[in-house]
Amino acid sequence: MRSFLTKRMIQTLVVLVGVSLITFFMMNLAPGDPFMMDPEMRMNPEAVARWKELRQLDRPLHEQYYSWLVNLLKGDFGISLIHNRPVLELITERLPATLLLTGTSLLVALLFAVPLGILSAVKQGTFLDKWISFFTLCGVSLPNFWLGMLLILLFAYHLNWLPASSLRTVGVAASFYDYIKHLILPVVVLSTGSAAYYIRYIRAGILEVIGQDYILTARAKGLKESTVLFRHILRNSMIPVVTVVSLSLPFLFTGAMVTEYVFSWPGMGRWIIMATLSRDYPSVLAVNVIVAALVVLCNLGADLLYAYFDPRIKYR
Amino acid sequence: MARKIFLLLLALMLMLSVLGCTPEESPQEQLRVASLGSPVNLNPLFIRDNFSFEVVSLVHASLITFNNETLEVEPSLVKEWSVEDEGRTYVLNFNDNAKWTDGTPLTAEDAAFTLRVICHPDFTGYQYALFFNAITGSQDYHSNHNSPLADGSIEGIEVIDENTLKISLDRQMAPFLTYLNFFPLPAHIFGDVPVAEMEAHDYSRNPEVTAGPYILNQWVTDEYLYFVSNPDFFLGQPEIDEIYYRIIPNQEAQLIELINGDLDLIPTAVKLEDVEELEKNPNIKIYSNLRLVYDYLGFNMHNPESPLYNKEVRQALSMVLDREALVRDILLDYGRVAYGPLTPLHFPFDENFQAYFVDKQKALELLKDAGYDEGFELRLILNAGNEVRENAALMFKEAAEAIGVEVTIQTLEWQAYMEAAMQGDFDVIISGQGSDPDPDLTFNWHSQSPLNELGYVNEEVDSLIEEAAVALEQAERTMLYREAQEMIVDDAPMVWLYYREAVHGASDRLMNFKPHPNNVFYQVHLWKFK
Repeated sequence: MRSFLTKRMIQTLVVLVGVSLITFFMMNLAPGDPFMMDPEMRMNPEAVARWKELRQLDRPLHEQYYSWLVNLLKGDFGISLIHNRPVLELITERLPATLLLTGTSLLVALLFAVPLGILSAVKQGTFLDKWISFFTLCGVSLPNFWLGMLLILLFAYHLNWLPASSLRTVGVAASFYDYIKHLILPVVVLSTGSAAYYIRYIRAGILEVIGQDYILTARAKGLKESTVLFRHILRNSMIPVVTVVSLSLPFLFTGAMVTEYVFSWPGMGRWIIMATLSRDYPSVLAVNVIVAALVVLCNLGADLLYAYFDPRIKYR
Repeated sequence: MARKIFLLLLALMLMLSVLGCTPEESPQEQLRVASLGSPVNLNPLFIRDNFSFEVVSLVHASLITFNNETLEVEPSLVKEWSVEDEGRTYVLNFNDNAKWTDGTPLTAEDAAFTLRVICHPDFTGYQYALFFNAITGSQDYHSNHNSPLADGSIEGIEVIDENTLKISLDRQMAPFLTYLNFFPLPAHIFGDVPVAEMEAHDYSRNPEVTAGPYILNQWVTDEYLYFVSNPDFFLGQPEIDEIYYRIIPNQEAQLIELINGDLDLIPTAVKLEDVEELEKNPNIKIYSNLRLVYDYLGFNMHNPESPLYNKEVRQALSMVLDREALVRDILLDYGRVAYGPLTPLHFPFDENFQAYFVDKQKALELLKDAGYDEGFELRLILNAGNEVRENAALMFKEAAEAIGVEVTIQTLEWQAYMEAAMQGDFDVIISGQGSDPDPDLTFNWHSQSPLNELGYVNEEVDSLIEEAAVALEQAERTMLYREAQEMIVDDAPMVWLYYREAVHGASDRLMNFKPHPNNVFYQVHLWKFK
C-alpha cells in the first residue's frame, strides 16, 4: 500500500506540473491580454508598458513561469491582474457560495438517486422502472440553461413564488428561510441532471450484481431480502457509483458556470469565466492547478474506496 | 452511516448559510439598481471597466460635470472658473463646504495632488497622455521626477489658497475645461503612498475616505454593493437613504425582478425586444437617450495593395448598406442613422449633413472607375455576442455581394477580436467609437493618434483638427469641425452605422432620474421616490 501511495504521489506531482505548464503557456499564447477588457476604455501604450513592467509581465515567459512556480511552493498563488488582489483571497470569497450550491445539489441528487436507482433495478421492467427511466432520460437531456430559464419563468415570473436571482434578498434581515428560497431553483436545475446520471449508474450496477451466483446463494441461505439487498447487492454494485461521484467532487469547487450565470449566483463559476475572458493569468492558473489536484486526489480516494467495497482489490 | 453523512452535510449547509448571514437593518428608503457585472476598482484613477466607471460617481465627486442634454460644463466641486491668458491659464474656485467623509476639508491641494499622480512616471492610467501633458512642466515631471511619491511640484499647477487652483498650459487647448471631469483623491490618505502601489491599495476596494453623494458601506463580492447617503455631501444630503447596486448578469432575471418590484432601476441594459411589453406595465417607466458612441464598419487602409486603399472603392462600399433599415428593423428605432464622426450630442453637429445613400448603380460605376469591376474578396471581423453588429454584418455582406464584392464574416471572441483590431489583421471591422463630451476629433481622426487603427491619413484634416483644438470661440470650432467632418466623410474611411440609444427601465415611483450620455448616476442626490 505504501509503495502504491508513493507512486501515486509522484504521479500527482507530474500531473500538476504538466497542467500548470500547459495552462500557463496556452493562456499566454492565446490572443489578447488583461488590458483589452472594455471597448470604451482607452489605452495609452506608454502607461500599458509601465503597468506590465510593474507586474513583471515584460519578462520572458519561462522566467514568469519559474517565479510563479517558486511562489506556489511558498503557498502564494499570485496577484490577480484584474482585481489587484491575492488570488487566494478571491477564491475564498467565492467558495462558500459555490459549495453551498454544489454541495446541496450533490446531496439532493444522491437523496433522490439512491432510492430511485435501487427501485428501478429491483422493479426492472415494471411500470415504475419505465417512469424512472423516462425521468432520467429527461434529466440527462435537458440543458441547464434552458431548464433554469423555464423554472425562472414559471416560479419567479408567472407564479412569483421564488426569486429569480442571487443567494439572498438584499435590504432585509437575512434568514434561513430566505436562503432556502433562493437555493431551490438552482439546486433543482443542478441536481436534476446529476441525479439522472447517478440513477442510471446505480441501476446498471445493481443489475450487474443481482444475477450473480452469490446472490442466489444468499437467498438460498434464507437471508431476509433487505439483508440481501443492502449487504450483498448494494455494496458490490457501488464501485461504478463511487467512480462517478468521486469524479464529480472536484467540480464542487469550480461551481456550475451556466447555472451560476442563469441564477446570478455569486460563486466561482462566474468568476472563472470572467478571469478566462479577461486573461487574468494568475487566477486561471490557480483554479486549474487546484482542480487538477482535486481530480487526482479524488481519484486516489476512489481507488482506496474500491478496496473497501471489494476486498478482493489489493494495491501493491 | 448514511444517516451520519446526511446529518454532516446538513450541518455544513446550515453553517454556510449562517456564515453568509449579515444582519441588516430594516429598510429605510432604498433604491435597488441592477448591473450586469461587478465593479473591480473604486479608485477613480485606475478604472478600466465599465461597471466600475458606472458606480464610481456614487462615492466620488468630480471637479466639473456635464449637462445631460447639452453637455455643457456644469459646476461641481469647482463652483466657478475663469479662463485667462488667451486660453492658457485656468483659475478654478472650489466649493468651500466640500469635505471628505473623515471630516477633512476637500481643497485645491487635493486636486493638485491628483494631477501630480496622473503626471507621475509610475502612473498607469491613460489620462496623462490624452489630457494633461499640456500643463506647463508636466512633461518634465513625467520624465524626471525621481521620488516614488506624487510629491514635489509641477510648474503649471499652483495652489493659490485652500479654494483656488491655477493651472497653466504651455499651449492653448480648447477642450481643457472638459478634461477636468476627474475625481480628486484625498491627498492626506495617499500622500505617502507610492504611485506604483496605488492601484493595488486597499482603497480600491474599501474607499473609506470619499466625498461623493453616497458612502460605500458594504461590498459583497459578485452580489451587491451597499451605499448609504453622505450627510455631509457638499450639494446636500441625498433624498434616498440607501442604494443597493445588485450584480445580476442575467438580463431576463433583471427584467423579471423589475416587473416583480424587486428592482427599481435597470440602467442601459433593457433589451430592445422587451421594451414594448414593459411599456404596457403601469408600474414601469422606460427612458432612452443617445450616448457619445457610434458603431461603424471600418476599412483597413494600411495596405496600398488592398482595394480598400482606393477611395472610390470605399465610397462604393459606403453606398450599399441600407442603414435606415438597420435602425428601423434591428434597433427598432432606438437609435438613429450615423453619417459622420460628430454625434448629435456635440455642439458642431449638423442636422442637415447626410451622405451616402443606397445607390447600387453609382457604386458599380465607382468600382469600374477604380478598376475593380470584376469584384474582390474582403474579410470582415466583429466581436461575438453583439446581435446588432452580427445583423449589420450580414446585411453588409448581402449588399456588398450585389456589387460583386465577396465578404467573409469572421466572428471572434473578444480578446482575439481586440488583438486582430490592434494589429490591423482585417479588411473590414465592425466596431464602436466613443467620444468625449467635447467634439475634439484628435483622438480618433488625427493621423498621428495612437487610436488611428484604420490607418486614416489626411493632412488637411490634421490641420483642421489642430486648428479647432486651439480655437477658443465655439462658432469657429463648429465651422472647423464641420469642415473636417465633410472631408473625413468624403474619404469614406468607414461606413458610419448608427448612434444607438441606451434604454433604461425604472420603477414609476422613481423621480428625477435623468438619463445622461456617460453618467448613470447624474444628480443622484436629487433622485427620490413618489
